Amino acid sequence: MSASTSPTPPSSPSAVPGALPDSAAHETALRRFVRFGPLLQLVSVVVLFLLTALTITGFFTKSSVYATLVLASFLGIAAIGQTIVILIGGIDLSVPALISGANLVCTFLSGHHWPFGLVIVFVLGCAAIVGFVNGYTVHRFSVPPLIVTLATGAVVTGLTLGWTKGGQVSGQVPNWLTSFSSPIGRFFGIDIPPIVVTWGLIAIALSIVLHMTAPGRRLYATGANERAAQLAGVRTRRIWVAAFAISAVAAASVGILLVGFTGTGEAGVGDPYLFTSLAAVLVGGTSLVGARGDYSRTVLGALILTLLTTLLVGHGAGEALQEILFGVLILLFVGVYGRDQRVRDRV
Amino acid sequence: MTGRLIAGARRRPAGFAVLLVIVLIVVNTIVQPAFASWNQVAPTLGTMAPFAIAGMASTPAFLSGGGGIDLSVAPLIGFINILLVTKLFGTPFGSPFLAVPILLAVGAAIGAINGVMVARLRIPPVIATLGTYFVLSGVDLDLVPNPVTASPNWTDHLAGSIGPVPGALVTIGVPLALWYVLRRSAFVESLLAVGDHDATAFSAGMNVNAVRISAYALGGLIAAIGGIALTGLVQSADSQTFGNYLLVALAAVALGGANLTGGRGGLFPSVMGAASIFLLENLLTSLHTSAYFIQVAYGAVLFVAVLFGARLFRQESTA
Repeated sequence: MSASTSPTPPSSPSAVPGALPDSAAHETALRRFVRFGPLLQLVSVVVLFLLTALTITGFFTKSSVYATLVLASFLGIAAIGQTIVILIGGIDLSVPALISGANLVCTFLSGHHWPFGLVIVFVLGCAAIVGFVNGYTVHRFSVPPLIVTLATGAVVTGLTLGWTKGGQVSGQVPNWLTSFSSPIGRFFGIDIPPIVVTWGLIAIALSIVLHMTAPGRRLYATGANERAAQLAGVRTRRIWVAAFAISAVAAASVGILLVGFTGTGEAGVGDPYLFTSLAAVLVGGTSLVGARGDYSRTVLGALILTLLTTLLVGHGAGEALQEILFGVLILLFVGVYGRDQRVRDRV
Repeated sequence: MTGRLIAGARRRPAGFAVLLVIVLIVVNTIVQPAFASWNQVAPTLGTMAPFAIAGMASTPAFLSGGGGIDLSVAPLIGFINILLVTKLFGTPFGSPFLAVPILLAVGAAIGAINGVMVARLRIPPVIATLGTYFVLSGVDLDLVPNPVTASPNWTDHLAGSIGPVPGALVTIGVPLALWYVLRRSAFVESLLAVGDHDATAFSAGMNVNAVRISAYALGGLIAAIGGIALTGLVQSADSQTFGNYLLVALAAVALGGANLTGGRGGLFPSVMGAASIFLLENLLTSLHTSAYFIQVAYGAVLFVAVLFGARLFRQESTA
């Protein structure tokens, strides 16, 4: 394992492999995990789960736990792209627009009797184009991804709302989609919601791609130092375009899955995901600076946020308190993990 | 020729936005002659004021560099609005002579908290201000779960007229005047130096942290003025209205031609940026364009503006 995959704080020289060969050689996998792994996040998940199970009657049943996991899956899948984009040092604020847009257009087109397979291909194809535009523009003209994705998000929202006459959509989606996103759905006869299983498989696949394949390496290299990566032969523009395209497609997939969950299209269904997708990544401990973190952390981040919401709602806390605690939590986790270097260390 | 134009625009990055504002005023007047009549000016400016002030409030954070951005401006504007309507009006503190200093202090203090988190605790600005965004929107929602109408009060004049003077000239003018004064001091010079290259500024002996904290505090102070202007306009407290200002504020700064990575820009360009967005929206509305198309146009303008800005600054950013 090289330095690029572990979230090594550059300010502590002892963390650089090779600098202290003796201690590095004797370091066990467990100690590595304690030092660099998402220990705080893992503990938080367990504590929040126990807290919820002990204080909220009726939570520790199969249906409630599954419902929480399904909600976490939506957030987790929406944050796939956000994770990848942040790993290369970008940010994607078009996620909510794509979720809502895909949600509306999907329902709208099924209402117009398009074959559902075609609907999916069409929606995901359009999303990929939006992601392509995002990635290409940001990289080609070196403009802030924050502003570009904000702009494309506004365009997507406007176009999809205009096309669907303000989001007044009604359409029948196939039963398999409904049961796919449902907490009482079954995965090939096993009594687990299919979307949760799928999310788990995605998490494993993505971890393998990020850590064990050449494209994953190139992604981290691009995020760590774009110029160095370029000189080493990485076509960084391709990485940027691909990352934003994946982000857009993942967001649109959540939009489609949400049709299955709620049974219909709804304008603004993606709005909460603007900052929660970001929060899931950051609470997981992936750094905005780029190249530090991975998707398994985002999985934990999504679980923490969803459990926290469940816990707060279960105790009758309103939306207001939820938002306040969200804010405090983000500051707390990032304060521990993703801090910038001192100015005097950068001179 | 083009080269000279670009060189000229580089010296005056706000030129694009100023031009856009002039063109849009002319087009608005052609489409809707009443737009230019004198008794329309005060209400129009009053509606525009919160946009313009939100744009100005977001500017210092960008200028301070280091990935500086303040996402908490919009909920802070909402917070000041709510504080004024629900806590100060109807109490002895509701008079302008007490309320204004209190609110400005609150705004500056919250801005300074952002600054401390960014500069001292070294939390990346997006995250620090996102945290503040969540906390403030939560507090806003907690204070007014449902919109509250304000009792008759002095802020009314700020969205209308104070004597013959449109009140918005005061609310927009105060931050601009403040900036003008600060430009005569070492502050703006230091801010731009820190934003341009913080390590160099640090080597030259500048107190980078103090400059950054002041920048965020200044943003918070201007946001407080925005909250007062918003109160004048809507005459109510609502935890939802501020959402409109989040994206516009960022877009205004980008459109004004400030370098979003720091080191270049000012408050006046951001006012022009906000004004062009407002005028564009006004134009499309008076043409009975659907609200959805307005959003598309708004996104497209932002997209073009940021590309235009990139063209202007490309050589300098690689130098």
